[in-house]
Amino acid sequence: MSNSKLIKICALAIALYVIVAVSFYFISGDQLRYSFNESAMVNASNVVGEILSSQVLEQPVKVNADEITGLGIYAATYARENSGLLNVELVSDGIVIAESKVEISGMLDNSEFYLPINASISGKDKIIVRITAPESEPGNAITLYYGNKITNPDLDESNFALINGEELDGELCLRLYTRNFLFTGKYYWLIVAVVFLALIGCGAYIVKCNAAGKATAVVNLIAAFYKYKYLIKQLVNRDFKTKYKRSVLGVLWSFLNPLLTMSVQYVIFSTLFKTDIPNFVVYLLIGVVCFNFFSEATTMALSSIIGNAALITKVYVPKYIYPLTRVMSSAINFLLALIPLFTVVIITQTPFRASFLLLPLPIICLFLVCLGIGLLLSSSMVFFRDTQFLWGVLSMLWMYATPIFYPETIIPASIMPLFKCNPLYHIIRFMRIAIIQGVSPEPKAYGLMLLSTVIPLFIGLFVFKKTQDKFVLNI
Amino acid sequence: MIIEVDKVTMCYKMTFDRVQSLKEYLVQLLKGKIKYEEFRALNNISFCVNKGEVLGIIGHNGAGKSTLLKVISGILKPTSGSVKVNGVVVPMLELGSGFDFDLTGRENIFLNGAILGYSEQFLNEKYDEIVEFSELGSFIDVPLRNYSSGMVMRLAFSIATVVEPDILIVDEILAVGDADFQAKSKARMMELMSGGTTVLFVSHSLPQIREMCDRVLWLDHGEMKMIGDTETVCNEYEIKE
Repeated sequence: MSNSKLIKICALAIALYVIVAVSFYFISGDQLRYSFNESAMVNASNVVGEILSSQVLEQPVKVNADEITGLGIYAATYARENSGLLNVELVSDGIVIAESKVEISGMLDNSEFYLPINASISGKDKIIVRITAPESEPGNAITLYYGNKITNPDLDESNFALINGEELDGELCLRLYTRNFLFTGKYYWLIVAVVFLALIGCGAYIVKCNAAGKATAVVNLIAAFYKYKYLIKQLVNRDFKTKYKRSVLGVLWSFLNPLLTMSVQYVIFSTLFKTDIPNFVVYLLIGVVCFNFFSEATTMALSSIIGNAALITKVYVPKYIYPLTRVMSSAINFLLALIPLFTVVIITQTPFRASFLLLPLPIICLFLVCLGIGLLLSSSMVFFRDTQFLWGVLSMLWMYATPIFYPETIIPASIMPLFKCNPLYHIIRFMRIAIIQGVSPEPKAYGLMLLSTVIPLFIGLFVFKKTQDKFVLNI
Repeated sequence: MIIEVDKVTMCYKMTFDRVQSLKEYLVQLLKGKIKYEEFRALNNISFCVNKGEVLGIIGHNGAGKSTLLKVISGILKPTSGSVKVNGVVVPMLELGSGFDFDLTGRENIFLNGAILGYSEQFLNEKYDEIVEFSELGSFIDVPLRNYSSGMVMRLAFSIATVVEPDILIVDEILAVGDADFQAKSKARMMELMSGGTTVLFVSHSLPQIREMCDRVLWLDHGEMKMIGDTETVCNEYEIKE
């Protein structure tokens, strides 16, 4: 390969990396910088009585976070319109570290009310939430719920609320919204810079090796890509063209198939088994589209080697081309199926957000998982024809083991670790968070998704590489 | 030196019944019935081919001729020894292996061409030539399943012979179609083989070998019996027959 071309490719790759790294910083937003947490509220048992101007309500709380971002209080208005301000202070070691005033008139009867309050609490393990209502008179005041030992048997008595310094027999119903700093946010640019330098180093090494006439894995890969680009294009073209040949609706089936599957499952799971998943249509369709791709790609890759036996025994073409092209043509089908998915997203008025730009990542991961498993199956198929029947059963099992039409919450905690071994679980979860919640998943989700992609891919590549020389003798 | 074959040995492990399922395998394994018999298709073969040379390969059925060609074209990996090939190998082992019968002739030209390793640019340039040689005319836009078998063979031959590869591997001279096309295809083969490409040519027809080859390699039960100039080897081969 000529050096100038290689330098161009390296420069392009590095430029691409910079663009992705910078835009990722803005797309991922707060999820990259903080991990969010909210505490559980105690079960309400009674109210504390009207909060009047003469009263000071204090609730000590244990904290273990870097910052507090908000409070949830459980208020009651005595079913009337009240006016005035509620004053909330956070006190640490006798010093007020944050203060927030809210209009009492905005609160609803017997419901949780969120009020934003911001303070750094890193290094502190206990703060006091002090609530006063300086303008409230009897008949024009609200009250707050608290929980006692009857409704919450395991309350700690040292944490009981105080009214004007007198201890109550329980804790206020409070919810703390806190967040911790993540190292991915703190050191983001440092990590980006280190990877950037490493990439430049790698690029320089590859170019130097190439100039000296030494082959490196990367150069071989690029050369193979250029050499077989046209063949791959033709084979993918063939798979795709022959798939719907002689069917009346043709390529429309790529759109219809996921929609029809989704409709059937929607009817079953929204009427027979009542689910309370928000935005269930989109939730379901994401699962269906992803799993369809997985099952189609792996099934097609399974027969790719024995199906092309006539060619393999006659013409030398790298054998990985066959499973690769099968997975690629399924991927085109998958990309077409994203069109109905996004149509449904628009119809259900799920807002488009910047997090949608993260979708290429799970899609690439899904592709690589399919490729890895496809390689494994295609080589196993050569030696044991039972693989195809086994895979029929296994892929069905896999479907039920993936939360496609049921919520994650019904999975018992005892078998949850098993679910987390499933690469599709991480990929589908990632896509759902990005589309339905409109935010980036937490950094841990990225790590788990990449890890669960790399493992099947490498197993597949390894087995395929080890066995490919024996294919000719067995097909 | 365009091809260097160095001490190539090819062993097959043969089971008496090829085990094709896991159950069968386990049953056989438990019975202790999996026995392999080693079969040497090629034994310690070494030779070189120069650029532009036409090397004939002769021998009985089962002498290892096809195995040798497969090893050189990279389809089989030798058990031991090495093969060095400097250039593009185009095999002409069997015609039309890469056809898809649901696609049209036009689409198949590009598909089959890509499988044989031709570039997109090359195929675009030679497309008209291929169609003309195959004499398919307007049938080129019809799916292959509607072709007669003769038409399929003509198309396959036209695609396979349009190239000017560095190394051409020919397993028997291919003559397909009706008498007219047979004459035409034979002429095309001759033209290809005399056109400066390196050719590995397997045939059972000694007259053809004498006519075409610069040197001849004689294989017998996987052993290299003799290699040398055409007359000597052919005469020796005839005497032994």
